[in-house]
Amino acid sequence: MSEVDRPEFDSSEFDPHGMNPEDFLDEVHSFEFWFQAVEGYLTDNPYGHESGDEPISDRPDDLTESDKDSLITTLCNYCVGETAALEGASGMIAIAPNRHSKIFLATQVVDEARHLEVFLRRLQDLGVTDPEGEIERRANPTLQVFKRRLLELVKAGDWSAALLAQNVILESMEHAAFLVHATTADPVTAQILNGVMKDERRHLGFGENDLGRLLSEHPGNRRRLADIRHEMDGLVLAVFSRAADDLPGDASMREAMGREYIETMDRLGLV
Amino acid sequence: MADFLNSYSIQRWLELCPQGYLEDTVNGHQEGETEAESILEDDDLRTAAIRSTVQLVVGERAALAASSGLVNLAPDYPSKHFLATQTLDEARHVEIFTERLYDLGVKRADLESTIDNFVNPHLVKFAEVLLEKIDSGDFIAGVVGQNIVLEGLAFSVFEMMETTNRVPNPKFAHTLAGTIADERRHVGFGENRIGSLIKEHPEKKPEVEQMQKDMAYHMLKTFSLSFEEGADTVDKEREAIGDVGEANFHGTDLSSASSQEMQAVLEATVISEFRTRLARIGLEYQAPVGV
Repeated sequence: MSEVDRPEFDSSEFDPHGMNPEDFLDEVHSFEFWFQAVEGYLTDNPYGHESGDEPISDRPDDLTESDKDSLITTLCNYCVGETAALEGASGMIAIAPNRHSKIFLATQVVDEARHLEVFLRRLQDLGVTDPEGEIERRANPTLQVFKRRLLELVKAGDWSAALLAQNVILESMEHAAFLVHATTADPVTAQILNGVMKDERRHLGFGENDLGRLLSEHPGNRRRLADIRHEMDGLVLAVFSRAADDLPGDASMREAMGREYIETMDRLGLV
Repeated sequence: MADFLNSYSIQRWLELCPQGYLEDTVNGHQEGETEAESILEDDDLRTAAIRSTVQLVVGERAALAASSGLVNLAPDYPSKHFLATQTLDEARHVEIFTERLYDLGVKRADLESTIDNFVNPHLVKFAEVLLEKIDSGDFIAGVVGQNIVLEGLAFSVFEMMETTNRVPNPKFAHTLAGTIADERRHVGFGENRIGSLIKEHPEKKPEVEQMQKDMAYHMLKTFSLSFEEGADTVDKEREAIGDVGEANFHGTDLSSASSQEMQAVLEATVISEFRTRLARIGLEYQAPVGV
């Protein structure tokens, strides 16, 4: 069954309005809820795409050698971003303030590890024999700076700052990049990106809800978090600037990614 | 190394676990299954069940903290992938054992105070030894402590509990069966991955063996206190559930064994498993003194 016709999580059986807030959080941040959410688009899609009858490397595609090289650079940077997300989410489990946040983050850890795995697998499909070495050679230095800064915030044990950086800024950045890339990507890469974006929306929703609640309880944090956002926005836009050079298309790609990111951040209206 | 690690991929985990033995389960058991009436209707038995389940929740919380900490310490992508799946496995265990506490009548608002009230202090010490290693960034000691010692302990304890609950309380036995399958995978990873690292870093052996010795000490103290606390309800439990036939665990019939006999067979089983698994990775079991 394809991704299109497989029924996903049946929300009609889930009535959030009849639950008290604690029960609601227990329900939506559970292993069961996570599995119901992902099974529709992961079943029959090993490594994030339809398996087909022949090895992926034998299938014809329209990628020129230059396109392929650009795609490899882009995927290497997705691996850097997903490694940051994996290490950030796993580090946040230790500082999460309650059980349902820890359990949600554990589901996010597996999501991020899956994203890393499918991008590494795609690199192998494209003929990369040493993905770790290739990632080191092609990594965008600004993205590495972003990763270090994110992990500093997590290591410092600052829950609200880490949540903003990981589940709002990083997730919005990745979502913007994947959304724009998916419009021009080859079919296999596009299908992988669409599956990853479904997870990103769930992670973003967690960050948005929890941070919104924290800010309403502690409005004094808003200024501090706004400063962190300002600092990281600069890094995100610099990452996009370099990323757009690696994608087919013109300068409008960079503008589209930046616009999508800023619009998402402004729509959330958190800081 | 890469070949064996390929069998610990996220994709493999998805097919084996959520899309495999957990398919069509709710909190690890079949939908509609409930706790045995004999436990729910008797305050002493219900309290004993709460006490033992609290130890499972505390152990799994430690395992969640440890495995998520190890993701960042892992030196390669395949190990990070496996430890990510283990992180979610442990979170699921925390969730299903917490749900059992609710099924046994613990109110959500009283969860933490119930855990504080019933937790075995030696189990807390056991977890602290492990988490100190992970906090200090020691991947090798962390994996031995987590995937060989803690998981090895959990594996045998769950097996014993599954054996005793299989007939009288199938809901809990089914919950445990899924966790046993998970723990088997975790122990396998520990043995396979860490053996090569110990060979590369033989200078780590004394420190890792000392950690194992400290953890074994607190484990045996945990067993002593747990079986001592549970001794009073063993006979009552047997009366309540009636004759369910033999429940064989490593040569001991748990349906008729005394509390001391049950403690002895559990200790012997766990230590024997430790010896075997540690030997496979090039370490020698260190017996603690004073217990």
